[in-house]
Amino acid sequence: MEQLIEQLKSQIIEALNFEDLTPADIETDAPLFGEGLGLDSIDALELIMLMDREYGIKLADPKAGKAIFQSVRTMAEYINANRTK
Amino acid sequence: MKTIHEIEITTTEVILDRKPITVQESGDKMLVELYRRYVGDYPKFFKMDTLSRLGFIAAELLLKQSAISGEQSVDAIILANRSASIKNDTDYLATISNGNYYPSPALFVYTLPNIVAGEIAIRHHIQGETAFYILDTPEQLEQIIQSTLQAQGTTQRTALAGWCECSEANKFYAKIQLLRTI
Repeated sequence: MEQLIEQLKSQIIEALNFEDLTPADIETDAPLFGEGLGLDSIDALELIMLMDREYGIKLADPKAGKAIFQSVRTMAEYINANRTK
Repeated sequence: MKTIHEIEITTTEVILDRKPITVQESGDKMLVELYRRYVGDYPKFFKMDTLSRLGFIAAELLLKQSAISGEQSVDAIILANRSASIKNDTDYLATISNGNYYPSPALFVYTLPNIVAGEIAIRHHIQGETAFYILDTPEQLEQIIQSTLQAQGTTQRTALAGWCECSEANKFYAKIQLLRTI
């Protein structure tokens, strides 16, 4: 799981063009939206694309996104349980 | 109409109120250099396309000058260019050109030139009018700015207005002013 978390942090930085951040700057349990990284709705779409592209996960239920995208850890847990690649 | 401050940005030069700002880089890298030196606290900058980065940096430097000299807030943003968002449109098209693609929402959102005006408005909490015109020449913009600001009668208004053009990678030009009706 720790390896997936670190990999996910790198992928988030690349997908969202956070040129000034390193994986160490992202707290595993910090909120992704609002506080923490301060992501917005466009970023949420990018994260959905990232999960599809890298892990073969298609989010069918938009309501589920709130819980999945709470933090890097919740994303990693969801990916671990649902990945197809 | 009175020009309070003015900035001109080419791919190799930055002139603020007729004084050059020293830069080491050129093109897109120069905009990043200016961001790191004068802003630094707005990571959303890195998600912007070049047109938005150009307008954003121009507005940052202009409004810093304005704050130093204690001027009032901005009421409106009026920008224009000739090439709309063609550079980002082309970049986006390249990402969806083969059959097995993942369209990027972050790229798609900048396939409209008026986004740069929105980015400036969000950053500086400007709640008045924003407009972005597609014109052949900067001279046509002058008439639009005058008629827009003077339509408000005798109320004194301040606008961030000017030309903000990016036609391809590392090819851009901005001349933006902070204007006040007399």
